[in-house]
Amino acid sequence: MPRTLFRSAIVVALLIPVVHAATPVETQKARHEHYEKLGKAFKAVRDQTSTDSPDYAVLLQNAEIVNEASINQQQWFPKGTGPEAGKTRALPEIWTKPADFEAAQKMFSDRAPKLLAAAKAKDIDGVKAAFKDLGGACKNCHDGFRAPEH
Amino acid sequence: MTDVDSPPPSPEGAARIRVWDIPTRVTHWLIVLLVAISWWTAESGRLEWHRWSGYTLLGLVIFRIYWGLVGSSTAKFAGFVRGPRGVANYLKGGWTATAGHNPLGALSVVALLVLLVAQISLGLFAVDIDGIESGPLSLYVSFEAGRVAAHWHCEVFNVLLGLIALHIVAVAWYVFVRKQNLVAAMVHGERAYPAPSPAPVQPASLLRLIIGIVIATAITWAVTRAFKF
Repeated sequence: MPRTLFRSAIVVALLIPVVHAATPVETQKARHEHYEKLGKAFKAVRDQTSTDSPDYAVLLQNAEIVNEASINQQQWFPKGTGPEAGKTRALPEIWTKPADFEAAQKMFSDRAPKLLAAAKAKDIDGVKAAFKDLGGACKNCHDGFRAPEH
Repeated sequence: MTDVDSPPPSPEGAARIRVWDIPTRVTHWLIVLLVAISWWTAESGRLEWHRWSGYTLLGLVIFRIYWGLVGSSTAKFAGFVRGPRGVANYLKGGWTATAGHNPLGALSVVALLVLLVAQISLGLFAVDIDGIESGPLSLYVSFEAGRVAAHWHCEVFNVLLGLIALHIVAVAWYVFVRKQNLVAAMVHGERAYPAPSPAPVQPASLLRLIIGIVIATAITWAVTRAFKF
């Protein structure tokens, strides 16, 4: 019954992502890639703010990525994905001081929509101000919850 | 120069001659200061200051290279940089002292300048992992390329530190073993040589100095503005 076998194989293949829960190391890797994407979007915004004729399409696209990333950051930090699980700059304080961590995240999610709004309004000075403000939110969280690079 | 200001008396039979002109000395010590500031601002995360410190270093290094081409006799590369044979000859003792760098020290000067150029250039394109802090020219490269530049900006600094350590050890050896205070010479510009003493430094004109300062400032200014005027 080659056809039945083929169908079963498809069903099994589709089920794999469902039944397979991410391991802590996989979560760390995905988290790292996610925040790298955010860094890339941030640079793209910054690049547009340092040119005389900003490309608002690029600006909008990246402001959206930034705004998206500011929502529910908690999902990237399930328990057990700290330094105990593998190489990460995520500090244990993320899990030992959850209220502070949430407040730091909120600073980001409060400010990110302002960048998006300024990008939509094609207001370059607003984008610059929002970008600077947002950078402060990033730094605020990194100072307390991310280990230094070395 | 008054007695109070004058350097300690020369050894027996040695003549004190002027070796370094003021622009060379000022550039040298400002580079020392700015490398220290750059190091500290990077370690403590003061990136705004780090950029300004780096820009100042860029201007200083441009000026030093310019001065190495058209400056005073002891600052000019053509006056002290020797090939492998010259260095070997010096090591064998077959070298008549001239004022300024010896052929071995010349290698150190060139290596330090090359590393400074590399380090500053990498910094201009570097991007931090968050895309928040970056060098002024990073808008011309991708995020990935900026990260690679940042990585090498970090690696090259360690090489630079190693070379600075070697430079300090070599100078300390002169000061404590050979009893020749090269540090003081780089401060007041004079050094004692046994007779017959070499010819003193031939200074360059004030006009050349001004042109150099203008060139260094203009290039640095253009870089900080990412060549957008």
